[in-house]
Amino acid sequence: MRTYFPVEELARDERFSKVNMRERMADPRTLAGDSATTTRKSRGNNNRLVPSRRDATDAARALMHGIFVGEIQALEGAGRTCHDFAVSNVPGTGPSGADSDPTTGNTVPFALKLDMARQAWDEARHVEISVKLSDWMGTEIGQFAENTVLFEAACSTDPVLRLAGVNRALEGLAIDVFTTMKDFGDLAGDPYLEFCEDWMLADEVTHVKMGSDWLRKVTENDPDRRKKALDFQNVVDKLFSYGGTRSDSEESPIGLARRFRELAGFSDAEVADIAAVSLAALDERKSSVAKMRDQAVTEMADQLGTA
Amino acid sequence: MADPYKPRAPIAPWDRRELPGLFDVEESARRIGNYTWAEMKLFEALGGWVATVPELDVKMRLGTHCYKHAWHAELWHKRLPELREMNPDRLTEPANDAMVQFVEAMTEPEAPELTIEKLVGVYRVFIPHFVAAYTFHKNNTSQITDAPTIRSLQFILQDEHDDWREGEMLLQSLIETPEEVDRATAHQARLQKLMLQAGGIAGPGSIGMNPTTSASATAGATNRNGGH
Ligand SMILES: [Fe+2]
Ligand SMILES: [Fe+2]
Repeated sequence: MRTYFPVEELARDERFSKVNMRERMADPRTLAGDSATTTRKSRGNNNRLVPSRRDATDAARALMHGIFVGEIQALEGAGRTCHDFAVSNVPGTGPSGADSDPTTGNTVPFALKLDMARQAWDEARHVEISVKLSDWMGTEIGQFAENTVLFEAACSTDPVLRLAGVNRALEGLAIDVFTTMKDFGDLAGDPYLEFCEDWMLADEVTHVKMGSDWLRKVTENDPDRRKKALDFQNVVDKLFSYGGTRSDSEESPIGLARRFRELAGFSDAEVADIAAVSLAALDERKSSVAKMRDQAVTEMADQLGTA
Repeated sequence: MADPYKPRAPIAPWDRRELPGLFDVEESARRIGNYTWAEMKLFEALGGWVATVPELDVKMRLGTHCYKHAWHAELWHKRLPELREMNPDRLTEPANDAMVQFVEAMTEPEAPELTIEKLVGVYRVFIPHFVAAYTFHKNNTSQITDAPTIRSLQFILQDEHDDWREGEMLLQSLIETPEEVDRATAHQARLQKLMLQAGGIAGPGSIGMNPTTSASATAGATNRNGGH
């Protein structure tokens, strides 16, 4: 088995189809797709995923399917981190019996690997939960496309970058998503959904905390490596703030779960940063939508003028 | 109520645990170091394979089993300092070179079409050998002096049996043609031969059939006879 596994080769059965981030976000059935923008007007500025939203059923199903494939990739990513690195201080535990990664020299503490194995089990349960929840919500496996960006964040040759990108940025996002879905279940009077999201949320807080703790420990004496990891985390955070899907604003379908993020080891400053990046992304989307609308109005006027 | 000051037998009449055991502290630590290494290799392989198998149910089981074997490795790693090995990493090593070759051959299959081979290596060769080595250890170590190891072995054996059954059922559901039966048995035979060379998870004597442990076994038996 190879040491690093390319994202293009992630093994799936024939029901799944993979797309990139941009294609995924353009799917009109998703949270921030066209339906989200077209219905925004009728709801004033409130775009939060709540049962009263006109497209709530489709949007919640799309989000649930996104969670489902995200859980599969989180499982795969945690599994790869168990496999891809040698254990510090134990000779011959690296890929093909090496003492460390021959290309990067990277190793991981034994306890970090154990945490990743624990995470693999948790994510496997999340896949099980998501399959059952999707079924409950009337979604079929493969009904929506799969964006593989989560696993991409788990492909770095530096384990610390994986922790920053996956455990802190993406699982941080999972905390926001599960909190929103839990509230959705509560408002919709769906105790089944609320119950499942509550349990998954507890696990995700644990995973984000693992990321926060290991990032701090492993880079204790290596400020450059820590900075690189935090920069990577910011890039991933920004990528997932794309379209303003998640922010403190009610205009975003998903809120920022500040309290749970604090439990997971985010500092106040870090939460403030994510909030700022998310709001900026929302503004960016709003201005580009406004620009597109102006352009369409101009084009239509032109056409009417020439008709 | 009985008189609380009346002398009672310190070992209850229903407690039939024996004092002597087959392994001294050093031999226990050596075996447990081999178990740690082998459980590590197993959980790393299971974790690595998750991304490579297209079957969703298999993917989830591999993730679940990955954790269980990591936990076993952790239990053994923590046991080593209690056996006078203050640097547990020193004893975390393969039983011999043949064991390294076995693990390399077991982890070789990667392509998405090779789920049968992946599962055969783990559930028809590696895990049955864990069950054998652990059962031998549990049944032959001192029931009193080595109680902490026995407790871990009991937890771990429960997991091994559960996983063995789950893996075997997955295999039975995946093997649908006579050709696939041949594929499974050919791969099993290849790995089994490497395991034979290794002598088991803790090397020759993993289940007691080697000269060194036979000698200790005699000593153990002598002790046992004169123990009470
Ligand atoms: Fe998860
Ligand atoms: Fe997670």
